[in-house]
Amino acid sequence: MEKLLAARLHAVKVRPYLAAALFALHVVEDRSVPTMAVDAHWRCYVSPGFVARTPVEELAGVWVHEVSHLLRDHHARGERYAREHEEHGPGQRTGAGSPAAEGRERLRRNIAADFEINDDIYGDGLPRPAGAVLPSLLRLPDGLLMEEYLRRASMTGLAADLAWLDCGSGADGQARPWELGPEGAHGLSRQQRDAVRFRVAEGIKGRPGDAPEGWRRWADEAFHPPQPWRQLLGAAVRAAAAAPGVGENHSYRRPSRRSAGIPGVLLPSLRRTPPRVCVVIDTSGSVSDAELGSALLEVAAISRAVGGRRDLVSVISCDAAAGVAVPLCRAENIELLGGGGTDLRSGFARALRSRPRPDVIVALTDGQTPWPSAQPPCRTVVGLFPRPAHAVDEDDPDYVPDAPPPWARVVTIG
Amino acid sequence: MTSSTLLHAPATDSQLALSDDLLKLLRTTTTEPRPDEQLEALTLAVAADLPVLLWGEPGIGKTAALTQLASSLDLPLTTVIASVHEPSDFSGLPIVGDDPAVQGVPMAPPQWAVELVRAGRGLLFLDELSTATPAVQAALLRVVLERKVGALQLPPGVRIVAAANPRASAADGWELSPPLANRFVHLYWVHDRDVVVRGLGGVWPRAELPRLEPERLPEAVAYARRAVCGFLQARPTLIHRLPSTETRRGGAWPSPRSWEAALTLLAFGTAAAVSREVLALLVRGAVGDGPGLELLAHLDRMDLPDPESLLADPPSAELPERGDLRQAALEAVVAAVGARPERQRWEAAWKVLARALESGAPDLLVAPASTLAALRRDDWEVPETVERLAGVVELARRADRSVGRATAGAGRAAGTRR
Repeated sequence: MEKLLAARLHAVKVRPYLAAALFALHVVEDRSVPTMAVDAHWRCYVSPGFVARTPVEELAGVWVHEVSHLLRDHHARGERYAREHEEHGPGQRTGAGSPAAEGRERLRRNIAADFEINDDIYGDGLPRPAGAVLPSLLRLPDGLLMEEYLRRASMTGLAADLAWLDCGSGADGQARPWELGPEGAHGLSRQQRDAVRFRVAEGIKGRPGDAPEGWRRWADEAFHPPQPWRQLLGAAVRAAAAAPGVGENHSYRRPSRRSAGIPGVLLPSLRRTPPRVCVVIDTSGSVSDAELGSALLEVAAISRAVGGRRDLVSVISCDAAAGVAVPLCRAENIELLGGGGTDLRSGFARALRSRPRPDVIVALTDGQTPWPSAQPPCRTVVGLFPRPAHAVDEDDPDYVPDAPPPWARVVTIG
Repeated sequence: MTSSTLLHAPATDSQLALSDDLLKLLRTTTTEPRPDEQLEALTLAVAADLPVLLWGEPGIGKTAALTQLASSLDLPLTTVIASVHEPSDFSGLPIVGDDPAVQGVPMAPPQWAVELVRAGRGLLFLDELSTATPAVQAALLRVVLERKVGALQLPPGVRIVAAANPRASAADGWELSPPLANRFVHLYWVHDRDVVVRGLGGVWPRAELPRLEPERLPEAVAYARRAVCGFLQARPTLIHRLPSTETRRGGAWPSPRSWEAALTLLAFGTAAAVSREVLALLVRGAVGDGPGLELLAHLDRMDLPDPESLLADPPSAELPERGDLRQAALEAVVAAVGARPERQRWEAAWKVLARALESGAPDLLVAPASTLAALRRDDWEVPETVERLAGVVELARRADRSVGRATAGAGRAAGTRR
């Protein structure tokens, strides 16, 4: 026990941002646990034999590993994955799933969760424990999420060698015989777990220099998971295209059809004016073709869905100078010209000069551009390809690109 | 009518009667008591007279929950599908009279509003809010906030609940404008697999609705005010923060209005003695996830024992069970000593640490003990209690040695690679 706690202190010393989570774990000694395991209620089950034969510094790594399962919510994500893929989730003991198949599935999820954790938590004062599994075992790249590892690899080859691997229900969502369950003592309720995770995330965000990339990404997404940008871009274009003054809305210009039935009452009618959408595409060298292709397809699909006829959608490619607006209906294969530096202001100016004037401008860019100083007289949606915070400009190392202006609705793409 | 249809008529009748019987059998279900946090949260918010917005995929039983709520609160339910109405249905229909220039144009309220006013009480359910056009949403602002439909004032006995589909599933949805979103308590409605399976089998859950306890009312108000005011004093930037990112528009966000809602909900939750889970759903639904979680963490800290009373009576100190909270309590004690360093208080703090050693893990004590040791003045003698903490010191040394080994090992490994 002493040794285990010394290891926890070691972990807190080298990973101070995880202290709240490490101290919130309740330790349960149990001889039936293979090594160390956690359950969904933040209890940590420990085999005394395992502690006795493992050096303190390796135990510290195991502490951080186990708490990572909990912080990254692997039990809920594992269950969700199993449900979505019609695998044998917990509480579904009847039916085709034999105990052996269930065990294999559990192990697969455990291994994928371990991959997600192990690729970046060790080093820097925390030696990797013997037997920690890494994505390189299956020649998979580092830095993926558990779900991606599950989709990419069958892991059946590994499973036979790693049958001893067991991080408990905290890692895969499946209850173990030794666990105390939701009713047992010293468990954390869902709200308490959220509160601890939130505090750790805020701590990492508060001192971003201390934590490695993987943890910072987790902290950013722990409570606001990235949303599907396709839907968001769609919603933004829809909202912009159809907002009052442009698209479908109530109007008293013509009486409603209901008016005939209710004499003496004035009713507005629903009128729709299809919006003109102009897409300004940043074709400077810093935006990749794949990014542009995917985003452009989306915009075309969205504008069709908005009810805009295809002839109402036009495209301007723009690097330092703007090209000509090309109607989408004539350009099945739009040729995107450019490749130099970026100045989207010319693109905006060109879009506003075109007659008839567009109702919506959709700008697709990586954001490393000057923006128009005044709000254009139409709705603006900016689809932003994310770039690392440090923009590289060799001539001017202090150059920081402006954030998109507040009058635009910004959707981060990809 | 031919004779053949006449002959068949009785047969058709009995077929219909039979199908009625079958339907009656199908609809006969029983209920069982089952705790349901989201229903508890909904009931409390409705009791607190705050408009609630239920977010949920179509067909997961939002309407069924509302029906149950209405019957258990004994309120008549009026459902208005916002997306099939026009703005004038909520702001009043203009009726041209004989001389509009003199008499003005009266705005006539729709029938459902008149009936609600006549009943004097009821549950107004505005369904499909996110698919209503912006003009309808603007008209609804007044209904939700001022409880006015046209010239008609809804009586105080009317409670308002709305429902919306999340953007991902609303095919041509409009999103909620931030001002309208800020007026609601947002609850995310999810279905529970077990409940659905058991319900289709004929047994639906019956939630025990939270009841306000009369003797707790003043205490609840005092607690809620202390919590929210103390929190906002410490975090004034959270008083008003309009959502800036696309993902959070149309959801809960902090503003003076939604903080007032959070305060009300906290008071109702305390008076009804609901669990922290339900409180969390409500507070996060009112002011948003981030500020809500921070307020809940503040509540946790408020529940920590007062450092001064721990210092006053160390032998009977009651420390929290959970490790991180226990450490926070001990650090608060050490900080209190640091704020007013006196020898007597310093020695009392060592006794509190010794007490913590008796009842919990020793590694929690390392950080507070080293801070406390650093507070020593030259003329203060080391009390005997410190000796009881010798094990803690040894534990800290062991951890230090281990960190030293790990970094040295890493250095060696890096060296060989080079």
